[in-house]
Amino acid sequence: MKRAIPVLALSVAGLVPVWLYSPGAAHEGELTEVAAPEVPQQQQQAAPQTTTSAPKATGSTPTPQQQQQQTQQQQTPQQAQTRSVSGPAVNTSEGTVQVQVTFQGTKITDVKALRAPNSNPTRMALPLLRESALKAQSADIDTVSGATATSDGYKQSLQAAIDGAQ
Amino acid sequence: METLRRVEHIMGLPISVDLRDGDAALAERAFAWLREADAQFSPFKPDSEVSRLDRGELSREELTPDLVEVLSLCDWYEQSTGGAFTARVPGRGLDPCAVVKGWAVQRAADILRQGGATTFCVNAGGDVVTAGEPEAGKPWRVGVRHPDLADQVSVVLGVRDGAVATSALYERGQHILDGRTGLPVTGLLSVTVFSDDLAIADTTATAAFTLGKDGIEWAASQEDCEVFIVDEDRRVYSSPGLPVHIC
Repeated sequence: MKRAIPVLALSVAGLVPVWLYSPGAAHEGELTEVAAPEVPQQQQQAAPQTTTSAPKATGSTPTPQQQQQQTQQQQTPQQAQTRSVSGPAVNTSEGTVQVQVTFQGTKITDVKALRAPNSNPTRMALPLLRESALKAQSADIDTVSGATATSDGYKQSLQAAIDGAQ
Repeated sequence: METLRRVEHIMGLPISVDLRDGDAALAERAFAWLREADAQFSPFKPDSEVSRLDRGELSREELTPDLVEVLSLCDWYEQSTGGAFTARVPGRGLDPCAVVKGWAVQRAADILRQGGATTFCVNAGGDVVTAGEPEAGKPWRVGVRHPDLADQVSVVLGVRDGAVATSALYERGQHILDGRTGLPVTGLLSVTVFSDDLAIADTTATAAFTLGKDGIEWAASQEDCEVFIVDEDRRVYSSPGLPVHIC
């Protein structure tokens, strides 16, 4: 269940390049070539074992709803527009799941579960995590959070220096 | 009001209290509670309630409400992690320490608050509860230890009334076991969780650790929890709501 929501979110996310793409007559063929490989790759990273239950989101056969979205996009091709897109409702072993993804241009700014089974303790808020490289800094601080369990470790720690206990 | 700083080793942890508007008697009440909690919940003390329960000398009905609360927290996180987090690692005795630590320290902070203190920082082995502002208009600056460099931090959080807990491998060696396999967990170097309550922050950090890389998304999706997680490839994953302090 926990995995179904990210998979759905990524599937919806994968559709966006398709929807936002404004094809010129000469580029019609790129629609599937560009968008299609992206989606299965994302699904694989998120949950390789749930691919069978994941919705088909390759963009090769747009539903009427998708075609409508595409048409709208062609009429108003603003890049940084905010839009919310609802994914398909998918039946899972624990209930029906449907997610809504909000975009600013092509960037995802929010994901929420429109429908989710109320099976505690699964939580439904899907996090949008920022990914970055690990940095080191020696900043002015009041206290240190870290795994300091032993007395020896403490004696040599920043926290000990802050406590004036060295 | 005086500023009071005191460090004591309880539950095998160095516990520091930096109390800006209280007195020594109030600080002593908080420390006295922590010593009591150690006597009651330590699996290493033969006459603790936990040891007696584990030896079958107490029935579930005879337990104190505090131990029932601790055990239900253990059960909740065990369920939520599919058994990766557990107070009952196969072949070992009942050990609710991972929950007791944050839970007891949060209650120590509550004792300070109930005693009238509004501005303090309690740090128990790197798990932190703060209240108020050390300087007008400024939050407590809580540095998160860099997993490789003991004298550096990897991020600084600005916290007023809140809790920050970190579970990491750099000091204790491989001390966190996956309850599903009994083997040391791998995948993450350091999990930091910010929440309103240290019992939640600390247990979420430890439980996320037991899940390895799956713990990143699990922790971030816990209610009222913001995370800063470093994986073994030294990639950082952080919640957008994390109160990062710009120095």
